[in-house]
Formats: sequence, structure tokens, C-alpha cells
Amino acid sequence: MTKIKTQTISPQNENILIRLKRVESQFGYIPEESITEVAQSLDLPVSEIYGVATFYSFLATKPLGRNVIWVCQNLPCHLKHAEITIDNLERTLGIKPGETTSDNKFSLELTNCIGACDYAPAMLINRDLHGNLTPNKISQILKLYK
Amino acid sequence: MAEVKVTINGAQTSGREGVTILELAQENGIKIPTLCYLTELSPTGACRICIVEVEGSRTLVGSCHTPITPGMIIQTHSPKVLATRKVIIELLFASHCGFCMLCNKANVCNLRELAADLDVGLSPFQTRKRFYPIEDNPYIQIDRTQCILCRKCVRACREIAENGILGIAYRSFDTKIVIDNDQPLAQDTCRDCDICISVCPTGCLSKPKKLSAAKTGKPLIIC
Amino acid sequence: MPEKQIVLKNCQMINPRDINTYLARHDFKALAKAQVMEPDEIINEVKASGLRGRGGAGFPCGSKWEAARNTPGDEKYLVGNADEGEVGTFKDRYIIENDPFTFIEGITIAAYAIGAKQSYIYLRSEYHRLRNLLENAISQAKDKGFLKHVKIDIREGAGAYICGEETALMDSIEGKRGEPRYRPPFPTTKGLWGNPTVINNVETLMNIPNIILNGAQQFRQIGTERSKGTKVFSVSGDVAKPGVYELVLGSKLRELVIDLAGAETVKMVQIGGAMGRIVSSTMLDTSLSFETILGAGGVIVYNESRDTIDIVLRTMEFLNKESCGKCSPCREGTEAMVKILQKFAGGRGTPKDTGLLEELSSTMMLASLCGLGQAAPFPVIDSLQYFRHDYESRIK
Repeated sequence: MTKIKTQTISPQNENILIRLKRVESQFGYIPEESITEVAQSLDLPVSEIYGVATFYSFLATKPLGRNVIWVCQNLPCHLKHAEITIDNLERTLGIKPGETTSDNKFSLELTNCIGACDYAPAMLINRDLHGNLTPNKISQILKLYK
Repeated sequence: MAEVKVTINGAQTSGREGVTILELAQENGIKIPTLCYLTELSPTGACRICIVEVEGSRTLVGSCHTPITPGMIIQTHSPKVLATRKVIIELLFASHCGFCMLCNKANVCNLRELAADLDVGLSPFQTRKRFYPIEDNPYIQIDRTQCILCRKCVRACREIAENGILGIAYRSFDTKIVIDNDQPLAQDTCRDCDICISVCPTGCLSKPKKLSAAKTGKPLIIC
Repeated sequence: MPEKQIVLKNCQMINPRDINTYLARHDFKALAKAQVMEPDEIINEVKASGLRGRGGAGFPCGSKWEAARNTPGDEKYLVGNADEGEVGTFKDRYIIENDPFTFIEGITIAAYAIGAKQSYIYLRSEYHRLRNLLENAISQAKDKGFLKHVKIDIREGAGAYICGEETALMDSIEGKRGEPRYRPPFPTTKGLWGNPTVINNVETLMNIPNIILNGAQQFRQIGTERSKGTKVFSVSGDVAKPGVYELVLGSKLRELVIDLAGAETVKMVQIGGAMGRIVSSTMLDTSLSFETILGAGGVIVYNESRDTIDIVLRTMEFLNKESCGKCSPCREGTEAMVKILQKFAGGRGTPKDTGLLEELSSTMMLASLCGLGQAAPFPVIDSLQYFRHDYESRIK
């Protein structure tokens, strides 16, 4: 049973989201143990940490591949045939959105607008932007990631 | 504290500064329906059932969290308010399991009571259903299929029981009341404080049926 | 031409990684001028300019500052909102990529005016790659002694459209789930950690140095009655030249999408993204201003081959996924709308369904807790108004 204590942390510089992002950049996702650790160190209930971890799309609570591909699926990219990009990635990697390649190299995810509509169709790999995608360009880009 | 003069449903009245529209209405014997509000808990403004019409406001306002201001003209049961409340209930019923006849709380359910008051029959809306397995231990039964995400249990667990076992997780339609980091209900998850059960407006949280305490007398047989 | 470079005047002219190239043009002169003014004088100047928030809501900037300044308290905060998540909007990205220094100068002046010693830039996670550029610009400005009165820290989101909404943004900076708070209290009285907080869009803050340096009167010279100055637009979709354009407020939609961005045929234009308004091709002479339609300036152009229902359905699917899930009209309403629109998309609509869409729209607009739920029905309402036949042709 986690009793809530009134003591608060220095909220400006240490809070749940900052901690979770640190965990995420260390492990590539947020393991269960880390949620408990963050809860203990911030003196907050586990449920509250988990609530934050599952709210944000870029925080994963399951392991992902070494590189995560986020393909934009919104209208400006859709108008420029984002589905060809998605289809191409699916066939090249042999996985569907939400899955990870067996060599753990890539995870494929669909995401909402990444603010690169002038380079549509566009995607992020990890946090790098790739735009004006064509099947040829995609195969070149994928080679950049180990 | 200064007295604030307002008009509520055509009648002039006044309340202390800082009082919410809902509190003032209650003081004046006007019943505004609520689902996520409870005097003992911090307001959250999630269910939107307590909305009222305030002259000059572009939208309806949540009465449980809006303090009265001088000269406010409030309508708590105007046609616009009633029509909006009705659609909200219809929406909540769309994703609700709808097996009222089989429900533990069938006749003590706040949601059903409100639906009857607002003349809601079958919901005209279709949404996904939130189907989750029913979980229980000797102290509590959780059937999230009936949850309307009012978050009263979460706040009660934190603010009254000071536990924080229950939390709110995920986002959008997938939002869910979870135990810790979405753990299944275990025998020792919590004991019999019952606070969350007492605040739940639907059949989501209830006391498990004790089969051992079944009728001991002579069976009643109707021929 | 309606084009005029005020906000973007340094873009492509300076090296965004080198403050000296910025100083060669401006020298943080606006901050120097502001610091010999009384905070109230600055606020009055901004009020007199008529500058309204560029993030979509169009709230008068000076009044926001005044409200925060007048709220008692030692701890006050200024937030530069760089959580540009609206579909089809990328102007703040372009601004930060090209001219982080004017943005920072705007923050320093705003913080001085409201009395904030701490400020934050809330950067969307999708723009993580710009973080280094911003940090570099902040540290160069600090080294040059421009940040003596205010600390600027970057806080990054983690992928949630709703966090552009200012109360959700505050919860996210506090490290919580980015769910909107009810109002009142407003952020200017009770914001971050309960303290008075001003949240301004990147582009709003970009206008500040210019207003301080050249005066409110000069700023007011262009624009319309209630929309002064320029607006930066992001144009995408079926156009030859997608990109960022700065226009005098009140310019015609036609000038933007046809003359500048080179659209060939136009069926409809979505202005202000997913929560924005949809107009038909017969409305290209509409002026772009707060009095008419503006939003955050995201403009998506659809040519004649595009399907109305597909556009509206995709927009609603987006809103459904990005609804925070807190209030019932938005969480359940966007879901119910998606289901009805799917019926139309499959040619299975019924005559009753358009009525249901209208009923839902009204409820969501009136009862939702925040701007997302309140504006989510716009694409449905507008398409039902201008393209009703596209719905009716899908009734079985």
C-alpha cells in the first residue's frame, strides 16, 4: 500500500515527465521497475506515474526496436500518398505498424502530424526528420541506421 | 466575506464569494445533476452533466467548478441545458455495457436515474464498447465495462483513503481506471475501506456477492 | 502584394547558430529599450498595438500580460508555446529553425513586463531536433548578458496534441498527464504551480521586439480593424509551393493559396487545422483575419479530386486519438462522430445520421471542457453546410 505523503519534490526541475523521459532515453522504453523506482523517489503512487507514462504517445511502456520509425498519417501527408510510404516500409521491414523487426533494428509506428507538411510525406526516425519520401529515398535512409 | 448577488432560474439570490454555482443552487433547493462531483472531493469537471447556462457565455459552464460572480444570470434547466445533458447521457450509454438487468446496482445506479430523468431511451449513438474482464477479491468487484470514467474512485482513493492505488491511465477513448501500473486485482491489492465503492455512480465498483451468505431459509417456490 | 516580412524578416538573413549575425542586424535593441521603460509602459504599448495571440485563440496579448502583472505574487512565469501540433501547421518550426534570437528577445521582454524571473519554452517532442539549436541560442544570449533578469529553460513534451492547449500545457510542464483544467481560474491568476503564468505562442512573441522598437502606432498601420499586423501561414496539401508565408492580416485566401502557393484547382480549404474551419472554393475571397477565419494559420488545400467525407473522417479520427479522455462529450463524442462518418465513407449513411451529427456537434461545442472538444465539430458542421450533397450521396 502506497501511503501518499504531503512532502513535495522541487517541482520545477524534477517531476514525473522529466524523470520518465530520462528513463526513456536510457532504455528506449519505460520498464516496469523504473515506474516503481520513479514512484518511490518522487514519493508518489505508482498509479500516478503509470498514468503519465501511458498518456504520451512518445513514451513506450513496452520495449521497442533500436530505431523507431514514426510515419505521419495525417491529411497533408495522406494527400502526398503517405500510404505508399507506409506500404513500402511494411514490405521492406516485413512488419506492420506497432511491430518490431526480429533483429530488433526497427519499430514501425504511425503518428500524428509532425509539423513537416511542407516536406510531405514525412517521417521521423528516432528524432530525425525525413521528408519528401519516395521508395528509393526510403531504402537509402534506412541504411543510415544501425 | 462579501455576498454576491446573482439570478438563478429567474429568482434573485445571493451567496458567499467563492461559492460555486452548484453549491448555490443546492442552497436554494435547485437540484443540478452530477456524476463526477462529490462535496468531499476536489472538483474535476470531467462528466459535464452539471453544465448550466450563464448569460453572456459562449458555452455552457460546469456548475461544480465555476464560482458565482456578481450579476450572473443562471439557467439550470433551460431547454438547451436539458438537451445537452441528454446527449451526454446518451453518449455515456453508447459505450456502457447496457446489461442493466444483470447489474448489481441496477436499481441504485446514478446513471440510470439520470437517464430516466432526462427521458433517455436507447442511445442513438454507436461507439466501441469497453469490454474488460470482471475482477474480484473478497473486498471488491470491478467491472470496468460499466465505468463512465468520472474518476470519483481515483480521487477518493487518493484524497480520502490517502492511498493512490487507483489511477487514471492511457488516453482518449482508451482511458482506463487502473490499479497501480495496470495490475490485475489481487487478493491483497486493498482491504475493505470501501470508499471507492461508495462513490461509484454505476455498477463498476461493488461489493462482491457473498455466495456463502445465500438464503438459508426454506426455498420459496411459486407454482 | 499582401506579403510583408515582419515576423520572418531575419529568416534566411542570419545564421541561427550565431548570435553575432543577429546582433549585426538588431543588437537586442528592443530589450535595451524595454529595460529603460516601466513594465506598465511596455504592457500599454503592447495593448495599444492591438497584438492578438497567434496560436489560434486570438486573445489580446497586452491584456493577458496585464492580468498576470496585476495578480499579486513573487513567482510568475512566462511560457513560449512551441507545441505546434495542429495538423498542417509548421510555421513555429520554421521560425525557430531560422531565427531563434527574435523569439528569445521576445521572451526576455515579455518576462520583464509581467515580472517573471523564470520562463519556459515548451517544445513539442516532434521538434526535439531543434532543442540543440534553441539551447545554443539561449546560451549565446546569456553569454552576451541579455538574460540577467530571466532564466529560460526548455521543457519538452512527449507526443500529445492536447498539450498545445494552455492549461494542458501547464500540467505537462508540471510533469503530469496533459489534461486541460477548468477555467476560471485562468492561467494569468493561477497557472504553473498555482502562480500567475502567461503562455504566448512563438509567433506572438516574435512580434514583441518589433512593437517595442518601432512603436504600437507603426504596428497598427497594417491589418484590419480588429486584426493588426501580419500573420505567418503554413500552406500544405494540393499546392505547387507548400511552405511558410507571411501576409498582412486581412489578405484574401485566394492570394495565399492561388497566387503564392500555386494551387491549381481548389475544392475546399481547411484553415486552422483539425479544429479549424473548412471553406469551399466559392469562398476564396474571404479575408484572413480574427474577424473571419484564422486559427493558428495552418492552411491545407484540397483539389477537386478530393473526397469530403474522407477528409472529415480523417480529421475526426485524429481528434478522437488526441482527445485527452477527461471530459465525456469530447471523449465519447469524437468516437461517436468517427463511427457515423465511417458509415458515410462506406456508403451506409442513413437520413437520420446527418441529424445525429448536428446534435452531437451542438453538445460537444456547448459542453466540452476545453477548446479541443468545443472546436472538434467544426469540420463536420462546415462540411455539412458547404458539401451536404457529399453526405447525401452516401445515404443508402
